[in-house]
Amino acid sequence: MKVSRLLIVAALAVSCGRGATSDRSDDQKPNEQAPLVATSGETSEPALPAAQIQAATPATTPIADEAKATNVHPDAAIIQDFKTRIDAYMKLRKEAVKDAPRLKETNDPAKIKTAQDAMSMQIRAARATAKHGDIFTPEITTKFRRLLNPELKGDDGRDAKAIIKDDAPTNITFKVNAKYPEGASVPTVPANLLVNLPTLPEPLQFRIIEKHLVLVDEDADVILDYALNIIR
Amino acid sequence: MRRLLFIAVLIATLPLPIAAQELRLPNKPGSVKFAVIGDTGTGGSDQVAVGKELATWRTRYPFEFVVMMGDNLYGGEKPRDFARKFELPYKPLLDAGVKFYAALGNHDDAALQRNYKPFNMNGERFYSFKPQSGVRLFALDSNYVDKAQLEWLDKQLATSGSEWKIMFFHHPLYSSGETHGSAELQRGLLEPVFLKYGVNVVLTGHEHFYERIKPQKGIAYFIIGSSAKLRKGDLVKSDLTAYGNDREYAFMLMEIVGDELFFQTINEQGKTIDTGSIRRTGKVESTSKTTSQPVVPQAKPSPAQPGPRQSR
Repeated sequence: MKVSRLLIVAALAVSCGRGATSDRSDDQKPNEQAPLVATSGETSEPALPAAQIQAATPATTPIADEAKATNVHPDAAIIQDFKTRIDAYMKLRKEAVKDAPRLKETNDPAKIKTAQDAMSMQIRAARATAKHGDIFTPEITTKFRRLLNPELKGDDGRDAKAIIKDDAPTNITFKVNAKYPEGASVPTVPANLLVNLPTLPEPLQFRIIEKHLVLVDEDADVILDYALNIIR
Repeated sequence: MRRLLFIAVLIATLPLPIAAQELRLPNKPGSVKFAVIGDTGTGGSDQVAVGKELATWRTRYPFEFVVMMGDNLYGGEKPRDFARKFELPYKPLLDAGVKFYAALGNHDDAALQRNYKPFNMNGERFYSFKPQSGVRLFALDSNYVDKAQLEWLDKQLATSGSEWKIMFFHHPLYSSGETHGSAELQRGLLEPVFLKYGVNVVLTGHEHFYERIKPQKGIAYFIIGSSAKLRKGDLVKSDLTAYGNDREYAFMLMEIVGDELFFQTINEQGKTIDTGSIRRTGKVESTSKTTSQPVVPQAKPSPAQPGPRQSR
């Protein structure tokens, strides 16, 4: 019994390492021309209050292998895994901002900014341990590349790439759990790419900067995760 | 010689010809009167000049609201930016109770702007409002045309019941601009919905010029992204262009009287640069090629139109 359990653990570890390695090689080769600086963990912004809530991010697992074992289509399982991670973030978010002032309509932009900053601080504190790949796991990143790849060919593909370049923010340095830079333009997400990605709950949005896919909490202006070189 | 010089100076300082400053709209009691501005949020002198003209024209043409095509605040969006790039340039209008309805552009912070009450977005990225029975305007977020927005739009249009359905958003679905051009990907998703439900008019910005597009599949399109920024020489007149101007800052006045929508486009000096009207015809069977409530094929110039200058 103990031996069989050990074998399962060993097999999982091998498959986990294989998946991560194949994708990590992509992640470690961002476009050299891209000014994007991707780092996780610490931010250069003021220290946040101690985390009150632990990030409830599901562990990275070889979803495709699990799906095979349970006779679920691997692609469906990966998308479901992404949704589970988004749901986990939304749950964490709900808890984190429950005591923060709400974003509500007012004539005073200072009040909106204060509420946004407070919300942002609470979310970042709750995700203090968040790191690159917590949401965009290697499997999810690979799956999204495959979803978008057909849309990047032909005339529509050329249009999509032109839109990404058009008015895109440049020289953005961002980090997981950091704030989206204030005053930076919001890149338009090509509609043909967007409809091929899973629908996100409000207020989450995908953004494409250079060749990279970024997941942001739009209300709090917080970068939740990013997937490198999603556009080829 | 001195006399000649005096006359020349006198001519130069004379106000614009009366015809150029004339109101070309019916200005009928009870009609829907509004103004259109786009790409405004610079806080610069050109925005202020356009704001001043808007206020001046309102003394003659009492429009009730203004629709904004996005890029409402460029750069910083601190409280002082809201004052400098919106509240001050349009202070006389805001003080007079004129309502502004904003759409989001690619330079706008959605979370801040949709909760900024003077933009009347009700906290939403996309929304609609009905200024009067039979007329509904829809503000879309063309930065992020996701399934949620498309479903919302489909549902809203299906239940709208309004004869006039006017869309406003940032990215032009048809454009002769060299820098941006037509937003074909957004068009691929939005146009079928517009055709299905008989959208009449689409107002956009993004391009820093004015362009009246020849009606496309029965829908009238305008680009008005020059209310504070200009990209001179960027409008390359094409088969799409009915009239274009990339040399002057501009805003539009619109009026809906029954089945006719009148428009007048005015520059920062108060001079009319384009004018005309669009007639909505009765309901017909919609197809994939045309709207169920088509406009007349060409915008009809007003009889007194001075003949707008083409940009190229």
